Amino acid sequence: MATEKNSIMGWVDRRLPVTENLERHLTKHPVPKKVNFFYLFGALLMVVFMVQVVTGIWLMMFYTNTEEGAFASVEYIMRDVEYGWLMRYMHSTGASAFFFLMYFHMFRGLLYGSYQKPKELVWLFGCFLLFLLMAEGFLGYVLPWGQMSYWAANVILSLFGAIPFIGPDLQVWIQGDFVLSGITLSRFFALHVVVVPLLMIALVVFHIFALHEVGAGNPEGVDIEKYRDAKGMPLDGAPFHPYKTFGALPAIGVFFIVFFAIVFFAPTGGGYFIEKPNFEEANFLKTPEHIAPVWYYAPFYSILRAVTFGIPFLGITSKFLGFIIFAASIAILFIVPWLDRSNVQSIRYKGIYSKIAMILFAASFITLGYLGTKPVNELRTLVAQICTILYFAPFILMPIYTKYEKTLEVPDRL
Amino acid sequence: MKKIILLLFILSSYGYSAGENACGSLEKCDDFSSDVHDLYSLQRGLGLYMNYCSSCHSLKLLRWNRLQKDLVIPENIITEDLIRTADTKIADHMTFGIPDVSPIGAPDLTLRTRVRGDDWIYTYLRTFYEDSSQTTGSNNLVYVGTAMPNVLAGLQGNQALDKDGNIINVSEGSMTQEEFDESMRDLVNFLAYAAEPARITREKNGIFVILFFIVFTAVMNLLYREYAKELK
Repeated sequence: MATEKNSIMGWVDRRLPVTENLERHLTKHPVPKKVNFFYLFGALLMVVFMVQVVTGIWLMMFYTNTEEGAFASVEYIMRDVEYGWLMRYMHSTGASAFFFLMYFHMFRGLLYGSYQKPKELVWLFGCFLLFLLMAEGFLGYVLPWGQMSYWAANVILSLFGAIPFIGPDLQVWIQGDFVLSGITLSRFFALHVVVVPLLMIALVVFHIFALHEVGAGNPEGVDIEKYRDAKGMPLDGAPFHPYKTFGALPAIGVFFIVFFAIVFFAPTGGGYFIEKPNFEEANFLKTPEHIAPVWYYAPFYSILRAVTFGIPFLGITSKFLGFIIFAASIAILFIVPWLDRSNVQSIRYKGIYSKIAMILFAASFITLGYLGTKPVNELRTLVAQICTILYFAPFILMPIYTKYEKTLEVPDRL
Repeated sequence: MKKIILLLFILSSYGYSAGENACGSLEKCDDFSSDVHDLYSLQRGLGLYMNYCSSCHSLKLLRWNRLQKDLVIPENIITEDLIRTADTKIADHMTFGIPDVSPIGAPDLTLRTRVRGDDWIYTYLRTFYEDSSQTTGSNNLVYVGTAMPNVLAGLQGNQALDKDGNIINVSEGSMTQEEFDESMRDLVNFLAYAAEPARITREKNGIFVILFFIVFTAVMNLLYREYAKELK
């Protein structure tokens, strides 16, 4: 231990291993010297998470979680609370930013094999975080109690109702009422501000501890632990602090420029971040003409809608089958570490089929996202169905093409 | 490969059918985006609102004193000329003694521009026409069958539809068409302000926050470059 025996730090260290852990996770933790911009999204996600927690606490001070008061309290925050509008727009823009960064962060993982042995747990915790983020976003979107809050929540909750046998009872149990009501609102509030964020914090800790155990990856898929200098620091590595912490600061600056440009000049994101009907209070007698999810759910919503057929002889309705495939589209990410049989990590050294698969996956995800925000027609449903297949194909076929395709030789050093 | 992607995008954009931007019976609304920084326009808009809208439509989320401060109106004008009910204080909301949805069904207008969009309201206000089949004697191209009577006819004059369904002027009002359009611009600007009073500060001060982060990024980048030298 580096601290002096008689110093204050020494006193603390003998009782709580502060210095040891600081060295282990920051000042002596080796990370690859050369990475690309894709490796900044993790740090940015931490920043957004903090923005969401801080602005969320402020909003919670003024928000009313009742059917009668919710909508008015949001407008009270927008008008009568000092800088309440800033807190609210930062929180709503933060939600979009969270998903945007999350999708890039995970796509980086897919491109550079950040899920491969021994990083399976890092990837699994990350997938759980995506799932929790989706739940958190959904619960939070209900809280302003606008028309879209109400009706989008109705669409999602009715999916539980589509489960055979237990569905209707399950839906009532989740809602706490026979229709979506103030009872649902206040339990969603509790879940949104306490339960899900606590789980997310725990998982972020696991995600990072697991990552520090197995070491961060790099775009080349090179194992930096192979060659070390006399002090045991990998030759292609550098301590996390100060090199990577200061490396992240300019990126955080750029992120905040874009973030605040949206917060101050386009907080509704053209109706994609805060949808127009949500400025009208929830009314259970009046269904909006077109129920559209916020952009970050659009790809998955598209998959849900693409299933227009059921399996009648098994008693599976099209709605329930849609729900299964929609759930599978997220669940399939969890098993990616065991689908990839490649002997290399990075897309740079993988074969042509892996490259085609990644392009197809990205293209179908974006197309599905676009379609999810539009009303359906026949052609769009067809395109969504094709894209759903293209979304799943790269994963389902992964064990085959990664095993047989020709890979390139990975260099020894970064 | 590229062809498949191209095909996907072509197909998905082809799925973008006409009629989705439709503005009632019109193909699309007139272009309009509100400006809440034109103080005189907001004041004129308030004047129009008080004279033509406030008998039926409340602004239940906007407070009199917020309006007074933001639109730079002397307090005595608010208390003596604009507030009509005796027990209304200057810190009260602009409900004009009308309940949320007034007895004749007129909705509250505070957030209306955010629900419909500025361009929708702007087009709506200018496309009333005479229609004897309606109980109000008028109809609207944007909101067909609207229950709102054409209260602005005195300013704009009466309009009617010709054989092809185009709107034409049939009688003169107290304003020319240009003056009327300009007045509706003022009115929608005012409504856009009412929908989000914080927008004035937001759009004025946002640039300083962004400038701060530009400087922050530049300084942090210089700092990082010092450390990056050691990595080579």
